[in-house]
Amino acid sequence: MATCAKLMLGSGLCQKLSQFTRQIHMQPALLSSFRSSREVQELDKYPEVEVVANPPEWRFVERLLPVETVPQPLTKPKYPSGWRPQKEDGSELGYFVARTKNHMVPVYLHTRFRGQRRITVVRRVQGDIWSLEKDLRAVVEQSRNGKLCATRINELSGQIHFHGDYVDVLRDYLKEKGF
Amino acid sequence: MLNNILKTSRQVLYPVARTFSRSSNKGNVATETPGAVSTPPATRSPLILPQDYTNFLPVSRSTARQAWIENTDAVAERKVGLIELHPDVFAAQPRVDLIQENVEWQRKYRYVSMAHTKNRAEVRGGGRKPWPQKGGGRARHGSLRSPMLKGGGVVHGPRSPTTHFYMLPFYKRVLGLTSTLSVKLAQDDLHIIENVDIPTRDSDFLKDLIAERNWGPSVLIVDDDHMFPANICQASDDLGYVNLMPTFGLNVYSMLKHDTLVLTVAAVKHLEQRLLYQLNRNDAASKGGKFKLDQV
Repeated sequence: MATCAKLMLGSGLCQKLSQFTRQIHMQPALLSSFRSSREVQELDKYPEVEVVANPPEWRFVERLLPVETVPQPLTKPKYPSGWRPQKEDGSELGYFVARTKNHMVPVYLHTRFRGQRRITVVRRVQGDIWSLEKDLRAVVEQSRNGKLCATRINELSGQIHFHGDYVDVLRDYLKEKGF
Repeated sequence: MLNNILKTSRQVLYPVARTFSRSSNKGNVATETPGAVSTPPATRSPLILPQDYTNFLPVSRSTARQAWIENTDAVAERKVGLIELHPDVFAAQPRVDLIQENVEWQRKYRYVSMAHTKNRAEVRGGGRKPWPQKGGGRARHGSLRSPMLKGGGVVHGPRSPTTHFYMLPFYKRVLGLTSTLSVKLAQDDLHIIENVDIPTRDSDFLKDLIAERNWGPSVLIVDDDHMFPANICQASDDLGYVNLMPTFGLNVYSMLKHDTLVLTVAAVKHLEQRLLYQLNRNDAASKGGKFKLDQV
């Protein structure tokens, strides 16, 4: 008897559920499109609403929105990615390599001719670019066991091009120097 | 407070010292005595505007710059205060190549070439086959106005109107502005005034002021608001070499065309805020890519 009652209840519930789902799918969705929405009525027919500017709950929305400007990185003694903050001023060395807006070292790899020509570019160089080129070329040639490396300097735009892929070498060297 | 600011900044703006008027004695920024200058009856405390680097840390802090705020209520020069300029805007490494590209772009993007030559379809005549194909002993021709013949149309000549519109990449234009502002400051061609209010409508006032302070032959006055007071509008109306401009109209070509650039304090703040935002924005990559004309 109990099982019969349970079955009857279960079937009753099932029936109601199926009726409900049928209603949802047969009728059009209310208030979800322009043509099926009710027209705007007088304001006193709507419930009371309190408009609060800057409610305290807004911080839950704010923390999900993207930041407008690049924030300053948190100061830590060591970073697992190997990133290092800029410390060098450039006043003693005579040259200065500025970081990008995302606080990265401006050394890039340009590839042309289907990857056959690889050129390492150091950008955003200020000051005495010739002495910086001499120092960087020495580092690159040392990593090549003394073989010469061809470079090109564009003083107006503050760029140095190196023939070959020495991005990691130059980035580590510049970070060590403090740039 | 003045001493504190001078202590914290490592580089005092020596080049600005050279823009002092001929009447005043040549002195360093720190040793200037305000008491020596004849002050007007209503003396105000100096307007000191330090820079706060909390929002935008400069690329290199050692290049902080300071400039005098000058008066506009009299012909004689008087220092009303001191403003600290953000180095990323006013002491940036000047990219001379980008300045040239900006000037070239400003000249070319509006240019429409009206040169026009007629092609073989447009030249008058030439519809009929001049002589039969065979039997004349002459070369075969279909029209007397073909490009091969004298009097014929031009093949790949200029076709009017030809637009030369192109957009320089966004960050080239931003860096062009910062480079030119830095160059103007470094070459003593930048002056900062408190506001654009002058006492008279007479253009002689402006002429005397420019002569007294040794400003260049041509002066560009930039303010934050596009509505300038009536006095300066009338005074500069007759003078073709004194021009007024709002900050949103600031461009590399105008800054180079005019010898002296005069900014109000409000204009400096606005420029710094806008340029520093563009130099530090998170979605800078959205400004790269192809320029789309009819989209925001």
